[in-house]
Amino acid sequence: MSKKQFLGGKNSNAYIVFYSTVMVVIVAVMLAFTSLSLKEKQNANILDEKKNAIVASLGLEKGSYDANIEAYVVNNEGVKIETTNTPLDMLFDLPASYAAGEYPVFEDKNTGALVFPVTGKGLWDDIWGYIALENDLNTIKGVVFDHAGETPGLGAEIATPKYQAQFPGQTIYEGDQFVGIYVVKGGAQGAAHSVDAVTGGTKTSEGLQNMIIDCLGCYDNYIKSVKAAKEEVVLTENAE
Amino acid sequence: MKNKTFQSLTNPLAKNNPVLVQILGICSALAVTTQLKPALVMGLSVMAVCAFSNLVLSLLRNGIPERIRIIVQLVVIAALVTIVNDILKAYVYDVSKQLSVYVGLIITNCIIMGRVEAFALSNKPLPSLLDGIGNGIGYGGVLVIIAFFRELLGSGTLFGYQIIPECFYEAGYVNNGLMLFPPSALIIVGIIIWVHRNANKDLQEK
Repeated sequence: MSKKQFLGGKNSNAYIVFYSTVMVVIVAVMLAFTSLSLKEKQNANILDEKKNAIVASLGLEKGSYDANIEAYVVNNEGVKIETTNTPLDMLFDLPASYAAGEYPVFEDKNTGALVFPVTGKGLWDDIWGYIALENDLNTIKGVVFDHAGETPGLGAEIATPKYQAQFPGQTIYEGDQFVGIYVVKGGAQGAAHSVDAVTGGTKTSEGLQNMIIDCLGCYDNYIKSVKAAKEEVVLTENAE
Repeated sequence: MKNKTFQSLTNPLAKNNPVLVQILGICSALAVTTQLKPALVMGLSVMAVCAFSNLVLSLLRNGIPERIRIIVQLVVIAALVTIVNDILKAYVYDVSKQLSVYVGLIITNCIIMGRVEAFALSNKPLPSLLDGIGNGIGYGGVLVIIAFFRELLGSGTLFGYQIIPECFYEAGYVNNGLMLFPPSALIIVGIIIWVHRNANKDLQEK
């Protein structure tokens, strides 16, 4: 009975305001607590997924990241630099790293193949991916793309193995000139540096093309410097 | 009294099944049943949310102001779903990726709001908890049955393990692609409802 009198009864405005306030505060505390206590585990899962995507782009087995990959960061000029964030940390906010001019590179220790993380905008939300290059630093070895919220069945098709299967074997350089990959509406039909766009996913396809060209373009200087270093090795070997 | 309490658990399993009799929660039954594992996780998630929302709201039922009743229900359900979503992301990450938006959409699952309105707000906590668990199992059970057929016939696997032997495929057997699309779920739900009504004559409309 005492509850009935509290703040003028169950259906008074004062009681309703009081009730809602208390409820919202309790729920907020609960949600904040679960979110914070599970954050670490969730991030570990996301990191695992990213590691697996990197090795998948190289065609390696799941879970073989730690054994095979060496990661470092390069800048616009293509010079390796020291950063406070590790390359893996950067993957959690890749656009920020790009904006800061810090570009993470993942190298297969056994073959020397390089993987470049890329990031861009789809139709609804972020898209991102990993592009692995063969040792000639021109031919694509494999790609993995993922997205946050593209339309299932349309734009979201970029994340399917079937779509990604068109990338291996494509080249991103024409002579010494960086061109990237064009995502062509109506079918690439075997044209150089081109893949098919996603049916019904025009905006996502445009985003994909921009992502590939913009992001790989940032690595242009680094790729060229690695190429030059390789040629030098070949030259000295020949001279000997 | 004991018997009645127990009935609130068993009733939704068959006689008053939320999917088969009340035709609720069909949307997610179509969406998450191409494979058994996500269907099972979805069923468990709905059961957890349904059970706890029933329990919490039954405990609160005497203090909830009539005018903001629905809002209070929604806040409790939404908070529980958010917690479930966080737990899935932390412990079964791959499944939570497959379920994607459908975990969040548990909030709008009519079964949960329906049970809170129809049962928890006018019953004691224990029967409410059992009613929530019962409805969750009733829902999850149907999902698992649908997913069983869809995964077996559509991919030839169960829980990801190959069931249909390789020699079948060599002899010309082909997986049924339709099973991977939503219409097949509707067809299977229809067949289950048919079988269910045949077994329970009192459910048949005159």
